[in-house]
Amino acid sequence: MAELHIIGQIIGASGFPQNSLFCKWGVHAGGAWRLLSGLKEGQTQVDNPQIGEMAYWSHPIDLHFTTKGLQGWPKIHLQVWHQDSYGRCQLLGYGYCHVPSSPGHHRVSCVTWRPVGTWQEQLAHAFVGGGPQLRSPDTIYSGADRYRLHTEAMGTVDLELGIITSRFDKFGVES
Amino acid sequence: MADSWNTDTGEAVYRTQDALKNIRIRVQMERLTSTASLSQHLQQQLLSQQQEKTRKKKRKGDVELEALSTPPQKGDNEEELVLGWQEKLFSQSEYELYQNKHSCRTLLEDQYHAEVTALSRGEGRRNIRIFTYTDHDDHTHRLPSSQTPCPEDSLTTSKSGPTLLEQRMANVRHRRQDRHLIDLGIPKTKLINWEPSEEWVRSSHMVTRAMQSMQIMADLGPPGRLGEKKNECLLMTIKTDGSGTIIVKPDFNKGKEPYRIVTTGDKKEVWSLRVENVSVAMVKDDHDKELHMYRDLYVRHKEYLNSLVGSNFEMPPPGTLRYVMNGEIVSAKGFEYDNLYIHFFMELPNNWSSLPFHPLSGVTQTCRTKAVGKDDVAFFSFPFNFEAFYMSEKESDGIPQWPVLYFKVLSLDFWQRYRTEGYGYLLFPAVPGKHRVTCGTWRPLQTATVSALRRFFIGGSPELEEPSYVRVPGTFKGERLSRFGFSSESSGSVTFNLHCIQQAHAFVDAIVLKKRREKVVEQLGGFSQQGAVYNILEAFQKARRKMQEAREGLPQTLINATSKLEMNESNA
Repeated sequence: MAELHIIGQIIGASGFPQNSLFCKWGVHAGGAWRLLSGLKEGQTQVDNPQIGEMAYWSHPIDLHFTTKGLQGWPKIHLQVWHQDSYGRCQLLGYGYCHVPSSPGHHRVSCVTWRPVGTWQEQLAHAFVGGGPQLRSPDTIYSGADRYRLHTEAMGTVDLELGIITSRFDKFGVES
Repeated sequence: MADSWNTDTGEAVYRTQDALKNIRIRVQMERLTSTASLSQHLQQQLLSQQQEKTRKKKRKGDVELEALSTPPQKGDNEEELVLGWQEKLFSQSEYELYQNKHSCRTLLEDQYHAEVTALSRGEGRRNIRIFTYTDHDDHTHRLPSSQTPCPEDSLTTSKSGPTLLEQRMANVRHRRQDRHLIDLGIPKTKLINWEPSEEWVRSSHMVTRAMQSMQIMADLGPPGRLGEKKNECLLMTIKTDGSGTIIVKPDFNKGKEPYRIVTTGDKKEVWSLRVENVSVAMVKDDHDKELHMYRDLYVRHKEYLNSLVGSNFEMPPPGTLRYVMNGEIVSAKGFEYDNLYIHFFMELPNNWSSLPFHPLSGVTQTCRTKAVGKDDVAFFSFPFNFEAFYMSEKESDGIPQWPVLYFKVLSLDFWQRYRTEGYGYLLFPAVPGKHRVTCGTWRPLQTATVSALRRFFIGGSPELEEPSYVRVPGTFKGERLSRFGFSSESSGSVTFNLHCIQQAHAFVDAIVLKKRREKVVEQLGGFSQQGAVYNILEAFQKARRKMQEAREGLPQTLINATSKLEMNESNA
């Protein structure tokens, strides 16, 4: 019966090798959680920064969850893609982070990584682009299968989230 | 003539939520010059004389001289009208213009022609001097802003014409913009207008919201010579933006002094103007009904939301503390080799338990580093969840020990060479909230060159047999821990983001009673013996107080009967 509001924005991304970026994002929560209002996934616009390195999206996130338990706290998953001048899209990174649990204003920096293939695929990536992608990004949440991956560090996505909790203290939850 | 005039002719803004077509405005105009009153007086005299004369004529049959001036007509010197929103009243000139079918060029003018002919066939116009321009009228009818009740320019030098911005704004105001209802239904396609027309550019680059307006004008010419364009004067402008804001210029008189209009021209005549709002106000019953309806709607929506939410919440068993940790391994930096991965596990000290089938360890992916500044950083972005329960049986346990996360960083390269890069540990924080922790690591070192060569060429480095050696080995029982003879080398650091949540029944009570939590054991509302005894005593005191209060309410006879019992009790 407790409620959680997540109100914030995906500010932008920096540190990626290319600049013309867009982001696909989603919020995933456990079975005890229910989304009352808001869109839990979306895709930002493509931003090509002229000055500086950081691509800004300012994409709003406005969610209202209700929960019956503490398990399965919501997590945000992000996929950063690059769109070049020919309209081709290329995956640049996956990022995962938890939604903060303490009420207040949080500045979250989610780091991203990109799966890396064999040396032939890496060579092709250097010339033509493209590269391996996860078949289903959701399975990576549990973390059990991650050890199979060989990845490369990529850039950082900045988010600004305001967390409002309601009635958590009535159930003795301190956060 | 009135002595004082209302010179405050600025705009006034009103807001309403009801339909605009219900607005009613009464405009009252009166000419106030001495000649007017005199001529009125003269005319009245003449009229009465004429009437007398006609009466006499009937009796005697004399021939009468016609009066030179035309008899006074109604509307020469005063007029009063009640107008509705966008009600089109024709001026004398318009009336004459639209009677002629051939002068109508647009559809609007055809419509006006139809109305005018209907009027002329019917009872005629109900207005004489006062007329209106509605929103539909062509903007060429609009007067330049200098002909307002206060004809003053904003600048002393009025030689310069209007600026480009002013011209564009003026055009925008007179055009009715097609309003796209873009609130929640955002158009998913065609977000971008690739070929905007000139009109669209003008309307969307300017900030003003399109207003619907209506102008109440008056023809202030001398009586009998109405219908000349130069005598038209703007009395009042009403603008609305379609969302409930009404701008009225000048404001309603509201019982104060009337406004003054001075005509320009050969004869300077003074007119007084009164405008009042005579719209029918909503009946109180209807207003109440509307309020009730809104309130019902909101209450019902709230109930619906509540029903979705439900009312139960999973609580830990009483007397235990549930510790939930949502964290992620963010990054690792400053390590010697590339292609790092982290292998971690949690350790629970005494009195801690966790759920079965819950993973307490994990391995991240192998990540190739990249250079950020001077260091090589590997990004893991690996979320993990962890839940544990703490139950203290005895009070003498003291401060509880919190769980520890041990991790080791390893590198595995293309040639399958495997090296340990560092060992570290992270103590779970006792305070709930968000924590960003950076832990340093070290790796065991053998001082011989052989091991260094081995590490470089074929991989393989000494590992710890028991990872908990990093902190306090589990097998340690003595008083002093000695690591003498153990050599290590510092390695890089690993960053974690931790979100801790704690939950216990005792927190509920503490908040309800607004107690300050002093001892950690007290937080758990312990099952400890002392706590239990204290609870029982408190319950007894409460019950006793309730009994005493109840007894005070009883009638006297009963009290006497039980008083003996009471005395016995207090003696015991």
